[in-house]
Amino acid sequence: MMNNGNILQGQNRMRAKLLSTLVVMTGLIFGILLFSPNILSLNHSTSAMAQTNDSIGSSPFSLSNLIEQGSPYLGNLTAPITIIDFSDFQCHLCARHVKNTEPLINETYIQTGKIALVFKHLPNRGFDSMGAHLAAQCANEQGKFWQFYKVLYENQKGIDSGWVNKDNLKMLSSQIPELEVKQFNTCFEAQRHKEFIGNDVKLANSQGFFDTPSFIIVNSIDGSNLEIIRGAQPFPAFQSVIEKKLDELKN
Amino acid sequence: MYILIAAAVTIPIWILFNVFDQLIFFEPIWIFYLPKDAITGFILTTIVSILLEILVSMNIYAIGHSRLKIRRKSLFSGSSLSIISGVCSSCSSVGFLLISTFGSIGVITTNLLTIYQIPLRIISVAILIFALYYMHKRIVQSCVMDLRKDYM
Repeated sequence: MMNNGNILQGQNRMRAKLLSTLVVMTGLIFGILLFSPNILSLNHSTSAMAQTNDSIGSSPFSLSNLIEQGSPYLGNLTAPITIIDFSDFQCHLCARHVKNTEPLINETYIQTGKIALVFKHLPNRGFDSMGAHLAAQCANEQGKFWQFYKVLYENQKGIDSGWVNKDNLKMLSSQIPELEVKQFNTCFEAQRHKEFIGNDVKLANSQGFFDTPSFIIVNSIDGSNLEIIRGAQPFPAFQSVIEKKLDELKN
Repeated sequence: MYILIAAAVTIPIWILFNVFDQLIFFEPIWIFYLPKDAITGFILTTIVSILLEILVSMNIYAIGHSRLKIRRKSLFSGSSLSIISGVCSSCSSVGFLLISTFGSIGVITTNLLTIYQIPLRIISVAILIFALYYMHKRIVQSCVMDLRKDYM
């Protein structure tokens, strides 16, 4: 009988341990889910919207302001909607977006004049990221940003594996037709756009963006009606937001 | 009951893995998306979720039916390895948190976890398979009557 009592006691202890383990695991999972960037995006979106609505008129997100600041852009200046893309050239999810989603956005909305795409620098994936962004902005001086952007994403390798070290960046720039190498190298060596990129990072952080890729979709004219898309989401996610905005503008 | 427990374990873990891998999104629309570059990772995380489900169910069975001890070490080392590699593989806020909190060490850690994401997941699968084999052995062994012991 003593043995049976001990067995039962042991089993009860085990059950209690198991139950507490399951409770901890479930709590952990839901905790992580709750604090994951995708779930939180709703809250960020709301606070960001409030911020932007307060500052309409001098919005940093109006297309004219973005272009005036020197941000690279694609598409028609009269496009009613602007997508602002915060990315890092070393981020593999950004490469996923560029390979899978961006061509569809380009074909469906940019080529048809409905959308303008603006690039914002958010180098935070490794020590070499800043160099890649400085080089890209130097290419932008010569109107070659998007060619350089394509070359970088096509050649993307492991973070800080050396693929965007100084020498490789110069080598990659040589793949761009008609790029003035001397001008590019001078700009790159002098880190001419370091402050500009720093301002992009500050802007991203002020909107609660720490991860890449992150997107803001706004009305081009005044940077209002801000919507945020976090992560390398597929085309239908972008389509749902864009179509909604286009409908709102029609009405 | 075991099927319910298995589902209760697998579904949240599978969702968690895929949220971190940026294959499931809840905003602006609910969507599941599997691009080519994510197929290997997706297969591995699905295997980890299924193995974890079987292991948890076996542990519960064992505790309910015998004096066996739960193999928490294997259970947690396998699942936590997968979760950590999943979290840091994405350019997520968690990766940024590591970087901002631990500076250069955080950058190196995040990068290593990103680069070795697939090998880490294979290790998780191996650990879970070992745990399953061990658990199976213990359950089967417990069915053999030990005539030398007095259970009365």
